[in-house]
Amino acid sequence: MNSIFKLLVRDIRGSFLMSPLFLASMLVQPLIYIFVLGFAFSGTITNILAAGISMSYILFLAPGIIVSQFLTGGVYAGASIWFDKRFGMFEQILVGPFTKTQYITSKILSVAFQGLAMAFLVLLLTFPLLSGLSINLLGILYMITAWMFGSLLFGSLSIIVSTAVKTDEVLNVVFNIIMPPLLFLSSVFYPLDSVPELIRVLALANPLTYAADFFRAGLLGLQTSYLGYEVLLLIVESLGVFLLAVRKFRRIKI
Amino acid sequence: MHSDHVISVDGLVRTYSGKTAVDNISFNVRKKEIFGFLGPNGAGKTTTIKVLTSLILPSKGKVDVLGYDVTREPLRIRRRIGVVQQQPSLEMFMTVEQNLDSSGFLWDVPREERKKRIYFLTDLFGLKDILGRKGPELSIGQRRRVQIARELMHDMDVLFLDEPTVGLDPQMRRTLLDHIKERARNGLTVFFTTHIMEEAQYLCDRVAVIDHGQILACDTVEKLRSKFGKGNVIEFALAEEGVDLKEAMASVSGIDAFYEPQGQDEPFRVSADDPEAVLPRLLQMLFTKGLHLKTVNIKESSLEEAFLRLTAKREAKT
Repeated sequence: MNSIFKLLVRDIRGSFLMSPLFLASMLVQPLIYIFVLGFAFSGTITNILAAGISMSYILFLAPGIIVSQFLTGGVYAGASIWFDKRFGMFEQILVGPFTKTQYITSKILSVAFQGLAMAFLVLLLTFPLLSGLSINLLGILYMITAWMFGSLLFGSLSIIVSTAVKTDEVLNVVFNIIMPPLLFLSSVFYPLDSVPELIRVLALANPLTYAADFFRAGLLGLQTSYLGYEVLLLIVESLGVFLLAVRKFRRIKI
Repeated sequence: MHSDHVISVDGLVRTYSGKTAVDNISFNVRKKEIFGFLGPNGAGKTTTIKVLTSLILPSKGKVDVLGYDVTREPLRIRRRIGVVQQQPSLEMFMTVEQNLDSSGFLWDVPREERKKRIYFLTDLFGLKDILGRKGPELSIGQRRRVQIARELMHDMDVLFLDEPTVGLDPQMRRTLLDHIKERARNGLTVFFTTHIMEEAQYLCDRVAVIDHGQILACDTVEKLRSKFGKGNVIEFALAEEGVDLKEAMASVSGIDAFYEPQGQDEPFRVSADDPEAVLPRLLQMLFTKGLHLKTVNIKESSLEEAFLRLTAKREAKT
């Protein structure tokens, strides 16, 4: 049997299905964003203009929040490596018939799988609110691309962070510092057309924006003028960051 | 590499940030042999195991396991070994049964075979009643037993055990050692590190004594005993505490070596060829000093004595 698949099954068994509370906690945050934030602003923002199309705020927000699951799920890749280290399983796996590259690839696939499951659940629970969806085959392809490369990028990023820090306390601090700007300086919560220039520039440098825009293009048919560049950047950056993560991880000291 | 050698180490050096943990060691382990690596904490045992299992690379020297170079073909080695590490390891969110099953799955053990092995190993290590418990619900000893049982789920040619009995009660310790002996009889090669002499003496065909990263001697237990555990040992404890006998012992003739207690409740040890002749002289000296004997015991030469002598010799050299 394929080594990566075996490690993937192990990761999902051990860290995901065995911890239903963790699963539930991952689901609560996006639902709060969509239901509380979405409804709270619906009185103030009756319609939102994004990429030249007018829509309800909740319809704009929901795909962004779904994509943010790829970011929060990705962070879990680094955290789960720390779990393995803390409980002695990291070295135990590495004295088994596996390579370091297989190990981190399985971690990224695991978070991608978890991100997809989360995104699907959130989409399912918020589906009644999302009137006006226009999903076609190309749209599904867009969403799959956003999911695949978003998970790869954020999973790899969190692995790089996890290899650089010495303790899990520092890891938590780093994630707590990195996560809010990544989440809020992106097109997840607002369209970039009408924000101040500085925020727009920062958000356009944020790969979460590319994933969110691409996912919206798939789900809502919203096509920004720079969507082509965004998808290219997302793919190139995610592959680059993945290779960097492999390189860093292979040099990790045991 | 000799065809009979499963492990071949030639001039292994391993440094960490300029500090030498293993210093130019060489040894071989034969097929079906239980080879002991005996040394105090920090002697270089775990570092050596980490190199042999390809977890870390050697700084210098050539290391072959099962005919493969650890630097060039680590995966080929890791596919055919089992490793019980000194540090605890557990799938914390899984039950005992899931821990064992997951390990078997990772090693491609078929489902039905996994069930049989889980049954056998949980019975052997007294885990049957706690099969459904998860990591946090287990005691330290139970976690250790799960860790050992898990590493015995798959087939292997060489088993590396790094201080595996730490945390086990005496009964379970004996169960484990007997099981290892049985596996070795069936063709398994075992590399076993310990700082407990009795274990090495009970289990190992050959022993290498390591201290400060250097191998001080390597031979069968019997040969080490006769070579370095020369004579017998008189162990004695005094009623008085904190007594320094180093100078006074020099006046007692017939003594080969004298060892002060290594810790609280540890006895003084005297090595001598003819302990019956030395004992009256020793008692006379203690009487003259006004000291009172609490216990006295004459023991046959042991691996422990050989070990103490070897490490003392090294201390004297440095």
